Amino acid sequence: MTKAGDWQSYKRVLLPPVKDLHHLDVYRAGGGYEALRAVLSDWKPDEVTEEVKRSGLRGRGGAGFPTGLKWSFMPPVKPDVPRYLCCNADESEPGTFKDRQLMEYNPHLMFEGILIAGYAMSLKACYLYVRGEFANWITLLQDELSKLYDAKLAGSNILGTGFSMDIIMHKGAGAYICGEETSLMESLEGKRAYPRIKPPFPAQSGIWGYPTTINNVETLACAPLIINRGGDWFAGVGAKKHPGPVLYGISGHVNRPGVYEYPTGMLITDLLDIAGGIRGNKKLKALVPGGASVPVLRADMIDGVTMDVESLHEAGSMMGTAGMLFLDEDTDMVAFLRRVARFYHHESCGQCTPCREGTGWMENLITRIDDGEGNLRDLDLLLDLCDQMEGRTVCALADAAAWPVRNTIKRFRGDFERRCRPSAWAVNA
Amino acid sequence: MADFIRNPVVALPDSNPEAHFSEEELVFTPEEKAKIAEYVTQYPTPDGAVMWVLWLAQEKFGFLPPEVMRLVATELSLPYAQVYGVATFYTQYYKEKKGTYVLDVCTCFSCQFCGGYDTLAYLEEKLGVMRGHTTPCGRFTLREAECLGACGSAPMMQVSNGPYAYNLTPEKIDALVDAMEAGQPLPFISVTLPQDEDEMGGNRRTDAEAVERYAVPPVAKRTQ
Repeated sequence: MTKAGDWQSYKRVLLPPVKDLHHLDVYRAGGGYEALRAVLSDWKPDEVTEEVKRSGLRGRGGAGFPTGLKWSFMPPVKPDVPRYLCCNADESEPGTFKDRQLMEYNPHLMFEGILIAGYAMSLKACYLYVRGEFANWITLLQDELSKLYDAKLAGSNILGTGFSMDIIMHKGAGAYICGEETSLMESLEGKRAYPRIKPPFPAQSGIWGYPTTINNVETLACAPLIINRGGDWFAGVGAKKHPGPVLYGISGHVNRPGVYEYPTGMLITDLLDIAGGIRGNKKLKALVPGGASVPVLRADMIDGVTMDVESLHEAGSMMGTAGMLFLDEDTDMVAFLRRVARFYHHESCGQCTPCREGTGWMENLITRIDDGEGNLRDLDLLLDLCDQMEGRTVCALADAAAWPVRNTIKRFRGDFERRCRPSAWAVNA
Repeated sequence: MADFIRNPVVALPDSNPEAHFSEEELVFTPEEKAKIAEYVTQYPTPDGAVMWVLWLAQEKFGFLPPEVMRLVATELSLPYAQVYGVATFYTQYYKEKKGTYVLDVCTCFSCQFCGGYDTLAYLEEKLGVMRGHTTPCGRFTLREAECLGACGSAPMMQVSNGPYAYNLTPEKIDALVDAMEAGQPLPFISVTLPQDEDEMGGNRRTDAEAVERYAVPPVAKRTQ
């Protein structure tokens, strides 16, 4: 028995197998918006936050911060200070594509979660920040949102209970950095998306200086499930320290890539089997367990490792967004790292020098190695560069760029050394 | 030293470029102005609406030369520098004239290992133009894009900031390019989840009429 328990008979809850679930009437026929009704009529706001705390829900956007705790950071309500929620649908982490599927097939679960969060924290409005590339999905969401307003499920006096909250769509325009919470707020305020220094944290001073909470789409979609089935049910699904259902976005060299919903704590090997194994009966070489910024794992490191914060930390990686990339034995890890470095170079916002310059040098150095013109000491120069970038910038993008570089070189050093010319003098290793 | 200051090593943008649009063209219609006013009500200050208005302007003018940015700045009573900063920060705002169709081919790592660069090379050969450039006929612009968030359907591309085209093969690309040359609208395609395929024989969204063309979506209703 694994941490995920009896996953073979797991019934999906985030993306249940129901036809046309995105229609408001189909969603309501299946018990949709009952959690919201119950919360608005019978619960106190603090009780909702307590229930979410009890569920042990951790954010699904990458950092894995406990959601209930985040909600409780909001300062006490003051009558003339509006409070906001930002729903972070700026899903741009390479290898991650779960939120798009959730917004496509079950948008009302997200809307209901937004409204429940809004009640729990007494919010005025929610800005739904969707990345600009999802233009089609924004139109689809906007249609459903209009129906929500028509059905008196959003806007003023929701369900006749006197609670009012607006949901407002915001369309991004293609910047990875906007997925970072403070940068998302800058972008909403109509500025260049330069991350802010924390503190002050968004709960103290967020958009336009008002208290703000930022949650991922999938995190908010878990809220109605917690209300309907109880925090204890949620805490009992999957791994103990990181419970709940999770959307695994599996891509790369597998036979059946796509989004799979299972509990947390699934064995990586089980997930690989579910996704049909590696294409062409090849062997696994490497795995990126949670989007581009988490350290890559070698095939011999994944035995018995499960998809939850604890186990992945022990294995030397992170959960991230659970966007898993499987790479087969023929993969060129130098080319892989070159593309990752290129991504971060392109997406660095340019605010802090270590990141703006460092990501560029990283790309240049790895390109040189990939072109066969690198020296062995370039590898150590790269590792040194990682040291100079980590923790020296406003946001975590520099760290996110340094981790894959450091760990890919460390774990696939042979691949890199074979492509390098030997150094003329001894390397101080 | 003085020479260095007079002749900077970095090429500065042309501070007074030739305008692409005449004074008469550079106006928002009353309907557009009403829409902009609606966007402004959605935010505590007009600044928040700048991204929506830039999208609107890009829909109307096709791209965002400095004079269009100035128009947006005047419309929202913002400094031109702020609008310029926003417009140049984000990759989806076009700062120069593009083809009728902009093909953004994803080459980020999931697509890279599933043939993203092969797709890009195939398109380069087919259209006879390098990445980052527009065909002489002005119909296609080919670009290399960062992750577009459809890694399970790699390789893929996005057409003109609108519909996605998934699991590209040479045949599919040929069909797509033919459809675009004939001026047909590209459909919205829904991807079936593998679990849905097993449990319910596939699940797709069929209500695609609303998204056939990439329009700026309607403004959200708002309680005052």
